[in-house]
Parts: sequence; C-alpha cells; structure tokens
Amino acid sequence: MTNSFGEFENAKLFFLIGTNMTEAHPVASYYVKRAKLKGAKIIVADPRYQALAKKADIYAQIKVGSDVAFINGLMNVLITENLYDKKFVEENTEGFEEMKATVMKYPPEKAAEISGVSADLIREIARTMAAIKPGMLCYTLGITEHTCGKNNVMSTSNLQMLLGNMGMESAGVNPLRGQNNVQGACDMGALPNVYPGYQAVTDPKNKEKFEKAWGVNNLSDKVGLMIPDMMHELTTKKVRAFYIFGENLARTDPNITHVEHELESAEFLVCNDIFHTETTRFADVIFPAAAWCEDEGTFSSSERRLNRVRKIKDAPGQAMPNWWIFKQLAKRLGHDWTSNSAQEIWDNEHSMVAPAFAGIKYNRLEGDGLQWPCPNEEHPGTKFLHKDGKFTRGKGLFKGIEWTPPAEVADAEYPLVLSTGRRLVHYHTRTQTGRCGLDRVLDDKTGLNQMMSEERVDMSAADAQKLGVKHGEYVKVSSRRGAVKVRAKVTDEIPAGMVWMSFHFSEGNANWLCNNVFDPETKTAEYKACAVRIDKI
Amino acid sequence: MDASIKKIVARYPDEKSAIMPVMQHLQRENKNFLSEDAMDQAASVIGCSKSKVYGVATYYTMFNTQPVGKFHLQVDTCVPGFLHGADAVVEHLEKKLGIKAGETTKDGMFTLSRVQDLGSCATGPVIQVNDRYFENMTLAKTDALIEALKSGKEPENDPSMTVISKCGVLLNDRTQKDCRTIAFYKKNGGYQSLKKALTMKPADIIEEVKEAGVRGRGGAGFPAGMKWSFLPKNDSRPVYLICNADEGEPGTFKDRQIMEFNPHLVIEGIAISAHAINSKKAFIYIRGEFNWIADILDAAIEEAKKDGQLDNVDIVVHRGGGSYVCGDETAQIESLEGKRGNPRVKPPFPANSGLYGCPTVVNNVETLSSIPYIIQNGAAGYKKFGNPNNFGPKIFGVSGHVNKPGIFEYPMGTPLKEILEAAGGVKGKLKGVIVGGLSVAILTAQEAETLILDFDSCVKAGTALGSGGIMVVNDTVSIPELALRTIEFYHHESCGQCVPCREGSLVIEHKLHDLVHGKGKIEDIDLILHLTANIKGLTLCPTGEAFAVPIQAMVTKFRPEFEALVKR
Amino acid sequence: MSKTIIINGKECVFDGNKTVLQIARENGFYIPSLCYHEKLGPASKCRVCVVEVDGIRNLQTSCSTAATDGMKITTDSPRVLEAQRMVVNLLLANGNHNCMICEKNGDCELQDAAYHLGIELPAFVVEEHEDKDDSGAFIIRDGNKCIQCGRCIEACNRLVVNEVLDFGFRGGHTQVVCDGNKPMGDSSCVQCGECVQVCPVGALIEKKAVGKARSWEIQKVRTTCPYCGVGCQQELHLKGDQIVRVKGVEGAKPNDGHLCVKGRYGYDFIYSKERLTTPLIKKNGKFEEATWDEALDLVADKFKQIIKESGPDAIAGVSCARSTNEDSFYMQKLFRAAIGTNNIDHCART
Ligand SMILES: Cc1cc2nc3c(=O)[nH]c(=O)nc-3n(C[C@H](O)[C@H](O)[C@H](O)COP(=O)(O)O)c2cc1C
Ligand code: SF4
Ligand code: SF4
Ligand code: SF4
Ligand code: SF4
Ligand code: FES
Ligand code: FES
Repeated sequence: MTNSFGEFENAKLFFLIGTNMTEAHPVASYYVKRAKLKGAKIIVADPRYQALAKKADIYAQIKVGSDVAFINGLMNVLITENLYDKKFVEENTEGFEEMKATVMKYPPEKAAEISGVSADLIREIARTMAAIKPGMLCYTLGITEHTCGKNNVMSTSNLQMLLGNMGMESAGVNPLRGQNNVQGACDMGALPNVYPGYQAVTDPKNKEKFEKAWGVNNLSDKVGLMIPDMMHELTTKKVRAFYIFGENLARTDPNITHVEHELESAEFLVCNDIFHTETTRFADVIFPAAAWCEDEGTFSSSERRLNRVRKIKDAPGQAMPNWWIFKQLAKRLGHDWTSNSAQEIWDNEHSMVAPAFAGIKYNRLEGDGLQWPCPNEEHPGTKFLHKDGKFTRGKGLFKGIEWTPPAEVADAEYPLVLSTGRRLVHYHTRTQTGRCGLDRVLDDKTGLNQMMSEERVDMSAADAQKLGVKHGEYVKVSSRRGAVKVRAKVTDEIPAGMVWMSFHFSEGNANWLCNNVFDPETKTAEYKACAVRIDKI
Repeated sequence: MDASIKKIVARYPDEKSAIMPVMQHLQRENKNFLSEDAMDQAASVIGCSKSKVYGVATYYTMFNTQPVGKFHLQVDTCVPGFLHGADAVVEHLEKKLGIKAGETTKDGMFTLSRVQDLGSCATGPVIQVNDRYFENMTLAKTDALIEALKSGKEPENDPSMTVISKCGVLLNDRTQKDCRTIAFYKKNGGYQSLKKALTMKPADIIEEVKEAGVRGRGGAGFPAGMKWSFLPKNDSRPVYLICNADEGEPGTFKDRQIMEFNPHLVIEGIAISAHAINSKKAFIYIRGEFNWIADILDAAIEEAKKDGQLDNVDIVVHRGGGSYVCGDETAQIESLEGKRGNPRVKPPFPANSGLYGCPTVVNNVETLSSIPYIIQNGAAGYKKFGNPNNFGPKIFGVSGHVNKPGIFEYPMGTPLKEILEAAGGVKGKLKGVIVGGLSVAILTAQEAETLILDFDSCVKAGTALGSGGIMVVNDTVSIPELALRTIEFYHHESCGQCVPCREGSLVIEHKLHDLVHGKGKIEDIDLILHLTANIKGLTLCPTGEAFAVPIQAMVTKFRPEFEALVKR
Repeated sequence: MSKTIIINGKECVFDGNKTVLQIARENGFYIPSLCYHEKLGPASKCRVCVVEVDGIRNLQTSCSTAATDGMKITTDSPRVLEAQRMVVNLLLANGNHNCMICEKNGDCELQDAAYHLGIELPAFVVEEHEDKDDSGAFIIRDGNKCIQCGRCIEACNRLVVNEVLDFGFRGGHTQVVCDGNKPMGDSSCVQCGECVQVCPVGALIEKKAVGKARSWEIQKVRTTCPYCGVGCQQELHLKGDQIVRVKGVEGAKPNDGHLCVKGRYGYDFIYSKERLTTPLIKKNGKFEEATWDEALDLVADKFKQIIKESGPDAIAGVSCARSTNEDSFYMQKLFRAAIGTNNIDHCART
C-alpha cells in the first residue's frame, strides 16, 4: 500500500475496486465504514453486490474481467471533460500522451458495453472522483487475479496519477495484501528476480554485494522460475526437487486435478508444515515446523509495517522453527550460518543488506513497529509513499492499456462465470481456522466451523429459478476441469450469469474448477474468471 | 417503495425521521400488528439496521410487536384514572371477557390492557379502543361499549366535562359546530396577528414576547422570549421550531383542548413564532394516542395553507408512539429524528444543536398559542392577566375528587380555592392536592388552603405549578397506594438510559408494592427516602426528579400512613 | 497554553480539551466510571462518575464535564460517595452479580467500583433473571450481568459498524438485542468480538475462555495476527502456555483494539493434536517417523546429488506468505547462497 490504514478514517473518498474488505480484510472495512459515518463518499466497483457495495454512495456492478475497460472509460471522461489534475500530470508524470491515445478509444459508451456499467454512471463516478479529493483507491485480488492482472494494476495507478491522488495522506493506490506476511515474503526476496529489499538479481553490483555479505561466489544472475513454471517443469523433470514451505498448493492453486498431477510428478518433494495437508501427501520428506506463537519474528503488513510476533510456547514434539531447518540444510550443503535467532537474522543480516530496511532493528519494534522505507535508525518510518509526487523511478509513468477479455468466457455449454475468493470465517484451506473449535481438530463442529462448515455456491435468485434450484440444496458445479458438489446459496450479492465460491474446503473447493491460465508477466492465475455450469442433482 | 410510504418519507428533511410514521402506517395496514416483516421493510426503506428499528418499535408502547385482538381495550389506570375509578372498569372487563389484563380473548376479538395516562384526566375512566377514546365510562357504559363493538356498531363517545374560560384567549366556544374551521376562526379575528407579525421585524417580535414575560407552559416556566433569543446569530444552518404537543404529564389535558377545538390558534402561533426565529420548517409533535386530534391539525393546516396563511413556514404534524419522556425537549428531538426517545445530555442545548444538529426551539402548545394575543394586544395587553413575573392566562385542568372536573382558563395567580370552587368543589373530605401534574410535590389539605396558582407562589409553597394539571385527592384514598401508582407510572415511562432513574424507580416500586401489600418493613420507608434524596439531581434528564420529588413528599407528609402498613 | 484544575486540593495541569474524568485519571484519582470508554467517549448514562464542581449545585458527571481553567473538583466528599454508592447498589440490586463464578472476576469495572466504594453486599436486592444466550459461536451473552451501559452497542455501530446491536424495549426492561431480537447465533453478528472487548462487566464473555483462568493468573503478550494483511495487534491472554483469550491492543496501530472473528477466535490450531511433531520420511508410500539427522541428511544428500547431476536450477522452492520474515529470508538464502539458484518464489500475488 502506498498509504496506511490510519489514513482511512479521515479519507474523503474511497474508490474500492475488486476488494471485498468486509470478509477478506475485516478490520480495514471497519475504517471504511467509519469514514462513511463521518461523511466520506464511497464508490464500489465489484461484480458482487457485497456488504460495502450495499453501503456505497455509488455502486458500479462491473462484469467480471472488465476492469481495464471500465477504468479507461473513467479516464476518458476525466480527460475529455478536462477534469484531471493537470499540474500533477505535468510536474510528476510521463507518458500522458501515449496513455491518452489509448484511453481515447474508450469513450464511456464503449466502456459501458464491455463493463456493463452505464455510460452515465461512468461519467458520474469520474466526476465525483474529480470533485472530491484526495481520494483513496483500494483493491485486492479482484484486480490481480486475472490474465490481465498486471494491466489492471497499472490501470489503477494511471487513474490515481491522472487525478493527482498520489503522494499525500488519504490518497494513493492501496492493494490490500491477502495474507499476513505476503508483503514480508516479497520484502525478504522470496521472489525469483530480486534479493531481499527488491534488489535485482540481474544487477552485477547486487550480485557482488550479496556474495560478499553471504561469503559465497556462486550467486546466480539469472532470474528464477515462478510457481506455475516450477510446477510445470516438475512434469518435464527439468525441476527435479521441489521444496514447499507452508503452502498447500494442492488446494490453493487452480485446476486441482492438474496441480496434483504436477505434484505427483515431482522426483523429490520436501515440505515444511505444521499439519498434514493435501499437499504433504505428495512429499518425500516432511519437516515439522514451529507455528505462530512458537517462535519470535516479524510480519510485514499491507501498510509496510513491521510488526513483532512473539513466542509463548515451545513447538510441539520435535517441531522446530523454519529458519532453523533451513540453517541445518545449509550447513549440510557446506554453509555455516551464524545467526541463532530471528532477531539475529533480522538485525545482523537482513537489515544490513536491504537499504530500505536499514533503520529497522528489533529494539525499535516494541510498540507499533515501523513502516518501511526506513533507511536509518533515526528515521521514523514512512506513512505514505511518493510524498510530493516523487516516485521511486523519478516520474510516474503512464501506460496506455488495452482491455483483454478473460481467457475463458461463458458459452452455451458452460453458461455461468465463476469467480472465487475468501470468506470471512475461514482462511485459505482451513488448515488453521478449521481447528479452532473446542476440540481443535479439523472435523470439529464448534468454533469457526460452527459458523461455516461446508462450502456453498453463491448464485442469483434469477439463475436459481431458471435451474429450479432451491437455497440450501446440493448442486453439481462443473467446469472443463472438474466438478464439485456443494449447496446452493441464493443471494442478492450475485448478479445473474455469475456464481461465486471460495477455496476453504477440500472437497467443495473452487480450485477444482478454476482455470490454470496466468498473467504472462506476474504469473498470477485467473482465479476470478472461468466458465462453469450448474446441474441439479 | 409504495406511494404512501414515499409520501411519508418526503415530509421530512431526513428520511430517518420517517421510521415511526412508516411503522405506524405498516401497523395500521396489518390489523394493528407490527410484524417482523414490517420492521424489516421499515429498515430497508429508511436504510438503517434491523436492531435500530426493533429498538424504536419496542421503545414506544403503541407499536404492537405481538399480535393483538381486533379491539385493543386500553384502560388508563394511572393516577387520575385511579381517582376516577378506572380499576373497577378493568375488573369489570376482566370478568366480562373472562381474561386478565394483558391477555386476548380466545376468539381474538379483545385484548385488555392497563395503560398509563391517556391525557383524559377529567373525563376518566377512559378506555382507548384501538385509536378511539371512550370517556366518562361507567360499568353500564362499558357493557354497552362491548356489546356495540361485538355487533360491529360505531359506539358514541361522551367527552363532556366542565369548560370555563374566564380569559377567552386560549379556549374558544366549542359548543359551536364549526368551531374548528378557519372561517370561524377568522370571523373571530383569527390570522390578523400573523398578518401583522409578518410586517414586523423578527427581532421586534422577540422583544415584544420578552416584554410580555410569557413563561413556558410545558412545565418548566422558562421565559419564551429569552429562549428564542438564545438562538445563534448569523448561522447558516436551518432553524427548526417544534411545538410540543406530547401532553404526557398525568393530570394534564390542556393542550388538547386548544388543538382539538381551536386548532388554528396553535397554527397561527406557530407561524408567528417561526417568523420570529426565522424557521422555515416547524413540527407539531403530538402524542400518538391523540391520533384524531392530529387529524384535526392536519386538516386545519391544509385549510390554512389553502387560505395562503402558511407561506412562511411548512408545518408537519408528527405523531408520537406512546412515551412520556418524549415530552422532554431533547428526547422529543431524538424521537423526531427517528430514534428511541432518550433524552440528550446537555449541553449542547437545542438552541445551538437540536434537531438534525441545527438550532431548534421547542415550545409548548399553550405557550405558542399565547403568541397571537400578544402580537395583537401587545405585551401590555397580555400583562393584564396575572401577577409580575407570572403573567398571562393559564389553562388549569382539574381532575380527581371534585364534583365538576374539567378545564378552566383563568389568569395566572388565581387562588386554588377559586378554581376548585369553579370545579364544583371537593367531593368528600380533601386530603391532598397535586397542582402541577404528577411530578410535583403533593400538598396537604392545609397547605392547599391558601395556595396561589402561579409559578413563584407554588415554589414558595414547596411545590410547582408545572403544567397546571390539578389532581384532587380526598380521604378515601390511601397515599401509599397513590405513591405506588405514581412510581409505577415513572418506572413504566423511564427511558432506561440512566441508572438512578431506571433502577431507582424499580427498587422504589418494589418497596412500595411490598408496603402496600403488607410485606414491607420500616427500613423500606427509609430506603425510599434515601433513594429519592440521592436520585434528585443525579439523573440525565429531569425524570428522576419527577418521581423523586412527589414520592419523597408523599412519604414525608403522610409517613404515618406508610408506617401503619408495616405489620409489627 | 496549559490550564489547571484543582482536584481534591491538588493542582492538575492539562492541555487542550479534556474532561474532568480524563484529568483525574491522569493524576491518579480513581473515579468509578461504567459507561464511559475512551474509544467511545462519554455516554453519561451510569451516573456513577459524579463529582462536586465548585459553584454548581448538582453533582456533575465527570466523564462529560469539560474541564475549564481554575475549576475546583471534589471526588471524595460524603455526598459524592453516597451518590456513587447508591448507583452501584442499584446496579447490584437488579442483576445476578455472583462474582465468585463470574469470568470477569478481578477484571470487572463494576466490581472495582463496588470495591473502592466499600460495598460488601448489595444493600437491597430485586431479582429478575433472564436466560443466557450462548447461541453465538464464540460469545456468551448474560443479560443478568448487563448494566445497560450501551458500550457494546456504540462499539458495534460506531467502531466496527457491523450494526447488529441496539437497545430494545424501554426503562427497566431495556436490554441489548441483536437485529430484531434474535439469538446472537441466528443474527447478522459476525462475532468480531468488539462488543466483548468494551463490555465493562461479565455480560459478554468469550465462550472458549470459560473456566480456563482467573484474571489474576493471566499473563499478557502482544503479538500480530496470523491471518490477513491488515496486521492487527493482538494481546494474548495466557495461562501458562495456553491462550485463554485474545484481545485487540487498545491504542495500537493499525487496529486500535479491533479484531475480526479469525483474529480473535482463530488461535487454537496451535494446540491441535493433529500437529506434526516429528520429521517424516516416506518409505514405500507411507510416512515413517525419522530423526532430524536422518531427514536433514536425506534432503541434503538428494539436493547435492541433483545439483551435481542437473545443476542448481533443477531445484525450486516456494516460501510461505504466512510465516515470519526471518523464515522467508533464510529460505531464499538457502536457495540462493547454498543451492545456487533463484528458483525461489511464494504466492506473492494471491
Ligand atoms: C420528562 C419530561 C416530560 C415533559 N413533557 C412535556 C410535555 O408533555 N409537554 C410539554 O410541553 N413539555 C413537556 N416537558 C417540558 C419540555 O422539556 C420543554 O421544557 C417544554 O416543551 C418547553 O416549552 P415551553 O417553554 O413552552 O414550556 C417535559 C419535560 C420532561 C423532562
Ligand atoms: S432520568 Fe435517565 S432513565 Fe430516566 S428518563 Fe431521564 S434519561 Fe431516561
Ligand atoms: S461481535 Fe461484533 S458484530 Fe457481533 S454484536 Fe459484537 S460488535 Fe457487533
Ligand atoms: S452487554 Fe456489556 S457493554 Fe453491553 S450494555 Fe450490557 S454491560 Fe454494557
Ligand atoms: S484480526 Fe482479522 S483483519 Fe486483523 S489481521 Fe487478523 S485476519 Fe486480518
Ligand atoms: S462514566 Fe460518566 S456517566 Fe457513566
Ligand atoms: S464480576 Fe462484575 S459482572 Fe461478574
């Protein structure tokens, strides 16, 4: 996020697109609702008429996968009606003309045709955003989980730069990160192209720096594989050993049948985990790991805030902290690492090699933590990025972006669009939230399972009626890749022609159905759009 | 949204204000029952949570969230009703219908309830059937009423009582069939004051009203002109005027006499006052039980509008839902905003932040109805009535043990004795008098002897003029029983916000109940005095004081009666 | 500019706009207060926080009285204490405050008030009991302990804006209702627990904490929620190594005490008997327990073999977006420095 949660409550305008905060980031949604109580205007663009959409001042029910066209339509209005922030564009950005040329191809009528949002509403939204500033744009995976995810993301920053909503309080582009430490895993360089602190592996200076820091001379300057490619190469045997730390790829990745085939193909699979999962079934070796509360450490939240996590108990049995496991392996591979605690890893290693984190040390993290960038130990941390319109690369770059449809669209055989995501009471594949009842086992019927014990397919009353399906009744949902049996949940949140599911349950998991196609650059899967059909059973 | 609901919502600057009228509408459409569906519908129309709607619906007694019989017989057994023999009516009905109060007959025809004050004190016992009143009931008339209802006939009401107007300012000649019409009103000089006022500068009107020294008739006696001058100057927010027609204080039934028979007087008073304080929107907040009077007001406003009298202000009649506390100005504002009628913490005062956070003036019906006379006759004319600091005509209501209960418009400063004589004299031997509505200290027969009825004299005598609702108690009445009735009223009406009132009234009620039923202890009497002494001044709104004062007075002045109830 | 008020003869300096209660607290004076909550502001309902203000006849509620320069306050006069005692007695009279078996015992603001005012037993008793509502997955509502302070309602409507709670009924019958008076478990309540967090008494309690610990056995540890990317700060209430309950850290960034249902109630998995407790090696399609050395040697040997045969890029790894930074740091270091490949990723975009 360019900005902080603390800026939500006093924001004057929210533009929320592809984010269902109420369920995925509940505490963030409280602040949005509070801003609304204080008079902020809320604009929601989402295919689902979800809780915040219901509270919104303006709701645009966009079609799944039409974001680029919709945003281009907004920018078209801003430019043709001369409503954009000329000063900001002139002083702080580049590429305006190129972007404009593309945007001019999306007059509101055209955008309306693609997005299903009326041209009038597109105009109203653009005018509202131009009139009320600053405005905060937030998105979540509704933007990224498309084959055009990167384009969607760039469209959001185009829009905010055009409005001049950058580099100040309660403005900016704010992707709410899905998982507690997905921001941190990126910051730590658990990415194939960058070292810790976003330093490119292809830059020889960085290679040299890290070789020195780590006392090695064999660092690779070749960008590595991303998850879908790793998985694919398991079947070609180009990747022979696969090490999965914590993730339950067998249920979180699209097209489960295919994913399980890939995992099965691995010559050698190692897992660190705290439970057996659908994924560990394929492992050759499983290391038992310490969980949350069983080790010291830090998480980085969406707002770039480093927070401490603390140990309150020992890990059960012989389970050990993950870093310890990696350290032991490194030792067996001939590398003696000196750090003996999370604090030593952070203070003596990470903060020494990643300049944006150089000022962050454990002794500064006792209270509310620190937000990076924080280049030195006197630095108070950074509440919002790009202050005064200064971007990391110098000037903000506009990009002209063309709309592309999802890879799979509804047709006669699979007439419904399936979109997927998270629900409030469970998390991912329920390995943790499923075990929070009185018995603390997965099939417990108390606790969070009491609030939701099986998956449902959310559908519109119109489609339910057409199919003769009643609320609560079991139906078969199938795609070209698989089929699941789940109960129907008839709800006003879903427009006709669309259905919606989550991936929290092993059996009724949306990923049996999802399309394993990816954004060409980010390799993010198109979880948000595929074609399915529903049959009565 | 259906058209009638849309119309209701459109009357208000903020749609939230329409919660109660919308629910009243839905309840009427559904056999006097507000179902869960209806509440959900109201929530979605208004755009608020279900709990908010439920909270409002269950706050006000007139919403039936449980089904009731076709005819809901509600007998007022509050203090005036009690003095007029309402309990006998209830017992009679229980026997006749074969049900207890609070129950519904098997055939679903009748639900019987004991209710608190209905504002028909001189014409008790009174039975409210759905939204119609039947006054001056006797057991024989009760039988006839039931038979008529059973056979589907429209029974007649007998609202007769003594009406004497010595001043002729507020009460008109109600014996005239057309007394409510604008034609009648204008024939007698009506709307001349408004015409004159509209030519005057607002500040000059306020000056004149100040000069007249008119003190609020709602009970507190605050000078009206002074209240108006507290409004902030040079403020861009709209100003609202609320005419307080909640008339909930037991013993009080004066405002309805003006509204029911002389509605244009109130309307003219509102129009002039609105001009004086630069208000474009005024509300008449009338207690919901007075539904037919609200209809009269609605019709009169239509008439006045058609006659071109109301170009300077839009007047909306807003019906309450059955809550005494909503007579308090800040509770009334909350209620008008579509909320539970919980009084607000002051400051801020309504003059600065009232309805919708805007400057607001709340005045009683009788206060506003005095304004046309002042404009027409000047402060000097007004001051011909009454004594210094206590000017003007005043409507007194006399109920309880007198021979001719009724309504009396006399100058301020009239001796109590004179009013009681006008009311036909005390029936039996006088034991005590409550002169200002139930919330003031009772006077013993001896204390009452020389009382002068005006604000200052009453205070000097250790009581208050309040609303001028006089309840006469003769020696057939047990004071502990009267005290129990009194606390039952306040406990029933407490909004429940603050602890001393909510819990204090409960404990006092329990202890008085124990005493009256021979289960009390001497310590209970002291506990009651301890509680009343500490509750005074401790509550969020004046309601705590409104029961602490009369209970304390009854116990201290008639302590032997309480002690006699304790079994030794 | 600093201003001064005098409380019980002591000069108390303050800046800005503050209430008498706030200044009293800052200066170490205890004034019982039951409806006021810092996050919610004054409600002026309980009337227990009254004090004497020089020059004003009636007692004033300190929670809602703005302090003005030179104001003289008395918090401990017989008159004040008598009023306060009466209020607390009234609350104790009507309700089932059996502290001995109450989860809030020792952490209850009503109990504190009674204790400070020297009330041993309620001076008078009027009993009217309601049923408990334990239909919610995590929250038990006990109307018999509710003092109608309204904090839960304000919190639900103004802080988390879930708009579930309100007062229903009136006067002595006033009670907190969910939606149209539904059992909590059937209502639109999302079990965020904000109402529990602000409740001053034992009227809202955590189901999972019942019988687990007395308040004085509790140790508190601050940590970060393991679920979504908001990064809410939690206060773990521990007895030994067992989490008894989780609260949000008041005043902390970003959540100021708020949590969601997962953050507040999704903690038990760490104690699950289904946890993995020993390294496992698959032999003939079955997992067998192994020692660390066996398992680590096996993996290291296999890696070495593959590096030798196919180069480091034949090994790939996925790090965890749920675990700590330090774990991810060491995993990528393992891949880059020890194995020699950049084949390291995690579900960065999901
Ligand atoms: C509990 C309570 C009930 C009240 N009921 C009424 C009422 O029914 N009618 C009324 O005019 N004033 C009532 N008042 C007084 C109003 O708060 C307010 O003082 C009055 O309407 C102001 O008008 P006035 O100045 O013209 O008297 C009540 C006050 C309290 C505290
Ligand atoms: S004194 Fe308190 S409880 Fe009683 S009516 Fe007033 S505000 Fe409500
Ligand atoms: S748990 Fe949360 S949503 Fe439920 S009533 Fe309490 S505050 Fe409201
Ligand atoms: S449940 Fe708790 S917070 Fe809510 S009103 Fe009752 S005592 Fe107050
Ligand atoms: S408490 Fe809820 S909102 Fe906060 S970090 Fe945890 S999962 Fe996210
Ligand atoms: S804390 Fe001040 S009135 Fe309750
Ligand atoms: S100890 Fe106070 S409510 Fe239980």
